[in-house]
Amino acid sequence: MMRLLVSADIHLGSPIRSVALRNPDLGDRLKQASRDTFAEIIDLAISEQVDALVLAGDIFDNGYPDLKARAFLISQLARASEAGVPTVLIRGNHDALLDHKAHGDLGPNVHVLHKGTPTVEVGGTAFHGLSFDAAHVAKSFLPDYPRPVPGKRNVGLMHTSLDGAQGHDPYAPCAERDLMAYGYDLWCLGHIHAPFERVDGPVLAVMPGIPQPRHFGERNGGTVTIVSVGEGTPEFERRAIGHLGFSECALDLSACADQQEVLRSLRDTLMSAQVPGSDMAVRLHVTSDRHGTELVTELAVEVLDSIDGVFLDKVKSAPPPRKPGAETDDLVRLMQDELTEDGFRQAALQQLEELRLALPSEIMDELDESGLDALLEEAIAEVSLTLHAGALR
Amino acid sequence: MRLNRLDLIRYGRFKDAEIVFPRPVEGVPDVTVIFGPNEAGKSTAYHAFLELLFGFKGGAHPYAFKFERSDLLVGAELDLPGRGTMALHRNSKRTQSLLDAQDRPINEAILSGALHGLSRETYEERFSLNEKGLREGGERIAGAQGDLGQLLHAGLSGLTGMAQTLDALAERADKFHKKRGRGNILKTGSDRLKEIGRELRADRLTTERERTLRHDRDRAAAEFEGVDAELRQTHQRQAASKAAEVWYDRTEEIGQLTEALVDFPEGPNLHPGAAERVAGLVEKIAAQTIRIAEAEEEIDKQDQVVADNPVDKLAQTLTAELERLDQLTIDGASLMGRANTARADLARRREDQEKLSRQIDAVLRLLQVPDAPASTVALEAGVLEDLAAAVQDFLTASFSNDAAREAAGAARAQQGEAPAEPQDMTALRAAFDLWKTVADLTAFETDQSQALARLTKVTAGLPASWKELIAEGLPARETLDEVGRNWMALTADLASARNDLDARAADLAEARAHLCAQEAAPDAVDIVVTEETRRRRDMVWRQHRDDLTTETADHFEKAMYADDGTRAHYLIGAEARQRLLAAQGQVRTADARYGAAKTRHDDLVTLRDRLSERSSRLALALGLGEDATPSAFSARQQALTAAAEAAAELSNAKEALKARLAHQEVARDALIDAARPLGLDRANGDLPAQVQRALTLEDSDRKAWAKWQEGEKTIDKLDSKSAECQTDCETAQVNLDQLTAALPLPDRSLEAIRAALPHLRSLQQLYGEHRKLSARIEALEQAIAALAEGAQRLARIVDDPQDETGIDPVQVIDRARARVVGSTRADEKRVEAVLRRDETDRSKRRAETELQAAIDDLNGCFEGQGGQDLLPRDRVAKLVERDRLRANKATADRDRQKARDGVDADLFAEELDRMPDATRAAELELALKDVQDSRDTARDAQREAARLYRDAFEAADRSDLATEQATLLEELRSGARQAAVARLGVLAARGALRRLAEERRSGMLRDVEEAFVTMTTPAWTGVDVWSQAEGEKLVGIQSDGSTVPIEQMSTGTMGQLYFALRLAGYRSFARDPGPLPMILDDIMETFDDTRARAALQLCAEIGTNGQAILFTHHAHLVELARDSIKGVTVVNMPD
Repeated sequence: MMRLLVSADIHLGSPIRSVALRNPDLGDRLKQASRDTFAEIIDLAISEQVDALVLAGDIFDNGYPDLKARAFLISQLARASEAGVPTVLIRGNHDALLDHKAHGDLGPNVHVLHKGTPTVEVGGTAFHGLSFDAAHVAKSFLPDYPRPVPGKRNVGLMHTSLDGAQGHDPYAPCAERDLMAYGYDLWCLGHIHAPFERVDGPVLAVMPGIPQPRHFGERNGGTVTIVSVGEGTPEFERRAIGHLGFSECALDLSACADQQEVLRSLRDTLMSAQVPGSDMAVRLHVTSDRHGTELVTELAVEVLDSIDGVFLDKVKSAPPPRKPGAETDDLVRLMQDELTEDGFRQAALQQLEELRLALPSEIMDELDESGLDALLEEAIAEVSLTLHAGALR
Repeated sequence: MRLNRLDLIRYGRFKDAEIVFPRPVEGVPDVTVIFGPNEAGKSTAYHAFLELLFGFKGGAHPYAFKFERSDLLVGAELDLPGRGTMALHRNSKRTQSLLDAQDRPINEAILSGALHGLSRETYEERFSLNEKGLREGGERIAGAQGDLGQLLHAGLSGLTGMAQTLDALAERADKFHKKRGRGNILKTGSDRLKEIGRELRADRLTTERERTLRHDRDRAAAEFEGVDAELRQTHQRQAASKAAEVWYDRTEEIGQLTEALVDFPEGPNLHPGAAERVAGLVEKIAAQTIRIAEAEEEIDKQDQVVADNPVDKLAQTLTAELERLDQLTIDGASLMGRANTARADLARRREDQEKLSRQIDAVLRLLQVPDAPASTVALEAGVLEDLAAAVQDFLTASFSNDAAREAAGAARAQQGEAPAEPQDMTALRAAFDLWKTVADLTAFETDQSQALARLTKVTAGLPASWKELIAEGLPARETLDEVGRNWMALTADLASARNDLDARAADLAEARAHLCAQEAAPDAVDIVVTEETRRRRDMVWRQHRDDLTTETADHFEKAMYADDGTRAHYLIGAEARQRLLAAQGQVRTADARYGAAKTRHDDLVTLRDRLSERSSRLALALGLGEDATPSAFSARQQALTAAAEAAAELSNAKEALKARLAHQEVARDALIDAARPLGLDRANGDLPAQVQRALTLEDSDRKAWAKWQEGEKTIDKLDSKSAECQTDCETAQVNLDQLTAALPLPDRSLEAIRAALPHLRSLQQLYGEHRKLSARIEALEQAIAALAEGAQRLARIVDDPQDETGIDPVQVIDRARARVVGSTRADEKRVEAVLRRDETDRSKRRAETELQAAIDDLNGCFEGQGGQDLLPRDRVAKLVERDRLRANKATADRDRQKARDGVDADLFAEELDRMPDATRAAELELALKDVQDSRDTARDAQREAARLYRDAFEAADRSDLATEQATLLEELRSGARQAAVARLGVLAARGALRRLAEERRSGMLRDVEEAFVTMTTPAWTGVDVWSQAEGEKLVGIQSDGSTVPIEQMSTGTMGQLYFALRLAGYRSFARDPGPLPMILDDIMETFDDTRARAALQLCAEIGTNGQAILFTHHAHLVELARDSIKGVTVVNMPD
């Protein structure tokens, strides 16, 4: 029986992207979240006395190239090695810093698998993997993988988008069925940040997920996987890791009679997001015909002052769906009519472009022309909510 | 919709009250004035109406002060379009709160349809107006700056904050970003991002930066190596130059030295120190020559001394004889030392001897034995002392004997007659002591009385059966505590469980009600019902087709509508069915929770019953009633325990008293038995007192008897002492007799001996001195004879005839001794002279040897050297100078050779060619300094480059910057979206308002103008619309034809304009989609009568198009209404 700790997509140096980190305490706690989480992975590998640590690519992040991170990685892997835990890893599409030709080896008991050395045997198990330098690879790696070693347990490491994953660029696409039929006992995968496992007969494929989610879109991450490879199908166990989780809460304020009730509902909802021992960034979807995003954000911030471990990621406020047959507000109706006018769209695009061009390049996509309709829908709702909120006040 | 009647069944302070709104006759405006003073409940009625229409609001209810919230109930009779008149009730439940007249839940859609889907807030905004709303609305529409669209929208929606809303949105967008703006969020954030970016770029160790740093480091190292090599080359050249300079100088010096050496003698170099050695040898030769001459002179001198002191041949014989004489002694001293005094001393000693003989004779006469030889009377000193001691012992023994005898007699005289011997009272005393320990009963009697009192006290509050309770055994304290604890816990649990059960029951009831409501909701119909209604419709259709009667037609119509309705509800009811499923799930959950709570409650009740039973048993065991609570157990248990303890103490006290009485009886009998042999009897009175007296007297008798016995013992001891002294006296007598037996004294009694003792001591002393003196005189005479004999032998040795005559032996001896001394001195001088001569001779020979050796050494020093014609000193000086020049030459050669060592040969040759060159050294020093500076600079650059490379790896991680960057970007992303939303919202709203103006101006503007003029005539005659670049603008027209922008109107006029807009809006809504009751709450209280009358006419206008309900507490407005509005209904608020 061999026990492995499988992780991938560490993205060392890549920070958490959430307004929640404007909270000074949280910001301070999480300023080195990726490093702290990786150190936690090493701690777990040592405490669990696994036979090997497997990293299936994207240890680094192209957006944050820093050889200091490489020095950090080496020190952590050395710590694992000194504790008797060897590491097997491959490069992902973010791992230019792992190029041993350019930067040298990572130290003893650390095996980087690549075309020159696609297989290494650790503890009687053959580990196979390939690393490619290109950030975008359109073809499957699988045909280039070594054939399984007869009489040994075979573990494959691959950085792949498989058949495609929402939110992830295609990278070394590979049909899942081909993967499972290749003859290996276990596939340790990376690239898709949400964790999953696939079992096909005696074969297990594990996507351990990003250990520290960096934004709301990665809210399903925060895990590593411990796999036991022995006779029969390998067994797996997900372990929670990371220091900040993301969650989504829906809140209907339509029935609230007054501000106190709004605050009470907000408090109840945000309290329900508390997770013992972990910080949570909450995205709040509010339904109200009186409370705009700004107002709800102000109230939520006020409420969160007295709730430990919960922080506001974002608020989205929208009016409730219109009742069938309800009389439409003239203003809303006419605004919707206005949207269909070419002149209006032209003016709207102009305003949007003016604002977009003023933005830092990293976030220009937020005001992309393709998002105009969604923005206009939000705009109509916001006008209505603000107008009614003014009446409420 | 029309409100016919409002039922305040249980609401606020009202109970079963109603407000009726009579339907006006045809052609009369539908206006109802509700009159009531302040606090009459007008606001209560208004809220009741709203809650009837839209349901009760959540949370604490402001009108639930007389009735519980759950009991609040309002009702109304309404005319509903398409449904006719309906009586409805509304309770405060969250769901299924709308009821029909029989309190059955009915579908909310009935009301919401009649309300055209308006929410409560929207209804309030559109169909209610009070004085405050009118005033503030007037002020707020000023912000519209006359914008027609905004004004018409305000009139339609009742929302007057459009201008503020658009301003707020624009401000929000501008706050985030404004073109060419400063200090906005985007600008500030972007600036910070740039700073962070710069810091990160500076901090981040990218591959490129690492490569650059590495390249810089390597380049700096290479540069350093180059400059360092140049420095080494310069050093070598400088060294070569110095070596060449040395070579040149030393070569010159060698030439001069070679030339100078030509004038010096040939020969090898002197050995080191040769000059000093030659000087020493010359000195040595001179000194040894002198020493030899002096020795020869001394030898001659000593030979003369030997000749002057010849040998004395008699000296040895004389010496032996004198030594014999010296060995003769007298009184331990040398005879020769005392020879001169002995002859004078002999005569004086003889005189002393005669004197002592006379004194001895005198003492013998005193002892009355003049003829006895002194030797027979004179005792040795030890014997004399023994005799004195014997005399003293005899005297002491006699005195002691006499004293002992006298003391015994005196004691016997004082002893007197013997007293009577006392009787033995030991048994009586023991019996009396025993009696005393038990005689006193007071403490026992006190203990008994105190125990009795305590028992009485602690049993005061106990039932009479306390003894039986104690006898049957009290429950254990732990048991009572346990029951008490359990009882309290159980009571609390039970109360909690009961509350929980109530809450669960309420939840269950609510869930069931909700389920009923959901089930009753028409939308919640399932497919089976639709099939049933369809089947019913088909059946009725078939029946109608068969009969074709009005009745079957009605039935079919009804069934058709029912089926259509059911299907319509089914089609739109997916959500309702989901709610129904959820409600069913909630009921199941609530039912399960209720069941669990009930089970827990029942279990606790069972436990409580069991515990109650156990508690009753314990209560009975404690003498309490069966229904006593465990809280009373502890106190009762303590009281009973105290009573048991007090009873036990009383019993113990009684037993103790009883035992003491028994002991007292036994002691009394023992005392009587012990007293009887002593003649003490109870018949003579108090026996213990008699015994006490007898024991007291027994003490004094026993003391007297003991004292007499002690006196007898003392007399016996004195008698014994007297006998011992007698024996000692007799022994001393015998001893004295023995010591005096040999003395030739006429009386040897104690007294005679005691008197003779001083004389015997004098005799002993005188006799001893006489004997010593006689012996000394004899020795002196023998010494004088021996001296004379010796002198005669000396005289014979030297053959001196005068000595034979014996004139004076001492002089003979002195002359002999002088001759011996003279001989001895001559021997000594002679021996010393011989020794000195021999020594001098040896010294002379050594000097001769050394002289020869020095001459040989001197010759050796100059061996092989020229200059033989010179004196040694001059010769060696010349040779030393020669050698110095030779050494200088060699040194110069070594120096120049040494200077070349390690020096580059080519460079040396180059530099040697330059010699002599006085400026070359300075020139090279300058060049070296320049290269040294370059090398230091290169070294610093290399170190700095290496440090930068190292520091780049060791620099602190700046993830905080990356995190701040990411957070800031997220903030800006969110802000940008909100700003875009705000901008687009403003854009869309302004476009929509323009459309609104276009769409409604024809329909509403006339109504607005008519209403405005009605209220403001004659000051205002109309309104107009200005077309401007930013849109159409409403202005007022005054009676003089001038136009006034709205924002320049007075507050009152703006309020009237706002009222006009609202009336126009109402009329527009009433036309399409349909009228709803308009609630006006004292809006005219600030109007003057003219304007109020005009406003009332406008209310009548509302009543013409729909229903106007006017609340007021002003009676004059009621009168004005009656005057102004034809057929107006005035209703008083109910009590």
